[in-house]
Amino acid sequence: MITLYGKAASRASRNLWVLEELGLEYKHVPYDHNKGETKNPAYMAINPAAKIPALTDGDVAMTESLGMNLYLAQTYGAGKLWPADALGQAKCIQWTLWSATELEPPAVGRLMQLFMTPEDKRDMNQVQVFAERTKRTLDTLNIALSKSPFLAGNAFTVADINVAAVAEYLVRTKFDLSPWPAVQKWLTACLERPANQKVMQMKVAA
Amino acid sequence: MKIYGSIVSRASRNAWAAEETGTDYEVVPLDFRKAEHKAPAFLAINPAGKMPALVDGDVVMSESLAINLYIAQTYGKGSLWPAGAKDQARCLQWSMWAGAELEPVAYGRLREVLFKKESERDQSVLDDLAEKAKPLVELIAQALKSGQFLCGGAFTVADLNASCVVEYLVRSGFELSPWPAVDAWYKACTARPGYQKVQDMRAAAIKAAA
Ligand SMILES: N[C@@H](CCC(=O)N[C@@H](CS)C(=O)NCC(=O)O)C(=O)O
Ligand SMILES: N[C@@H](CCC(=O)N[C@@H](CS)C(=O)NCC(=O)O)C(=O)O
Repeated sequence: MITLYGKAASRASRNLWVLEELGLEYKHVPYDHNKGETKNPAYMAINPAAKIPALTDGDVAMTESLGMNLYLAQTYGAGKLWPADALGQAKCIQWTLWSATELEPPAVGRLMQLFMTPEDKRDMNQVQVFAERTKRTLDTLNIALSKSPFLAGNAFTVADINVAAVAEYLVRTKFDLSPWPAVQKWLTACLERPANQKVMQMKVAA
Repeated sequence: MKIYGSIVSRASRNAWAAEETGTDYEVVPLDFRKAEHKAPAFLAINPAGKMPALVDGDVVMSESLAINLYIAQTYGKGSLWPAGAKDQARCLQWSMWAGAELEPVAYGRLREVLFKKESERDQSVLDDLAEKAKPLVELIAQALKSGQFLCGGAFTVADLNASCVVEYLVRSGFELSPWPAVDAWYKACTARPGYQKVQDMRAAAIKAAA
């Protein structure tokens, strides 16, 4: 039985998306790190950093939202979120690391400045630096999506979820995506998928 | 298997992984100073213009830590890629952790040291990043309570991908000695013949460029 720890309005939403997309049965423990709910010994045995999300599945216990999605796709997603061909699989791994190392830092950095920092403490210079870095990542993404409809080829895979779930921060912060039409079209299609819509509702409901 | 990139870049991580699996590979060096990573020939392989990239048959990919997962999953059964879901999940976890959590801190420190003269360095930046590094190193220490390596008894891609980023901390002057288990683990990783061979390649490349 899969157990996912972490409230929907956190990086756990990325995993909820995959779980819903694959129609897997799972138990959801919606811990809120801001309420100290992760600082109990049982949870810290799974994640000593006391962060969310984390996942257990039989004797598997792991953290790192995007890594958890790779695990779920490789384990339960053959022919669905996990492609059959070596190139497609390599692309899934590549885009997952790309999302974490190239896209997430500027996208989250900007979100933190705009939404989590009081206006008088906001560093507009930093916001600009993050925006410039974001633009370069969008250039890269747009080139890939001009060659194929999805990141690992013709079908929607975990690569798309792991990048779109992070690119969603740009939508939330009203980053103008119109200069990158292929990205815009792809991102809208990804976010509109019923599984993600369901997760969006879980976020609001909680 | 062709690894594109200067051996002094993150391409060294991939050469190390290739060495560990005993896979035949070739490093296609790209010269930073000639901006060969921004030339059309390489942009056709990685449009982002960043090294490293890998070409292996019809597989073309970028992202150093991802390339190592690919090498491990494809050629590393019995070496870098462990048997069993539990340890495989750990390899994914630590690879993502190395990229998402550790690298921004470790590379932040290395950049300050590598690209600035001693007089220009901002000690407060280095100190701040050292504080951020401590709980991260502590996490490795916690994990090493159940074995010499991150998946227990055997060296895997989890160790390779984490230690090649810890290397940045060490090179930036961060001391691992307060965490003896981490210190011993890092020494065991970097004493491996594959790592040592790549270090020799790096030294030769640096000497040739000087
Ligand atoms: N790289 C990790 C980041 C996890 C993370 O920072 N989670 C946040 C909530 S979304 C958290 O638990 N923060 C609490 C803390 O940093 O102490 C992942 O992708 O899972
Ligand atoms: N996240 C990427 C980072 C790649 C990267 O930044 N590579 C550097 C060299 S180690 C580079 O090519 N920089 C040139 C540039 O960014 O224009 C990875 O791990 O492969």
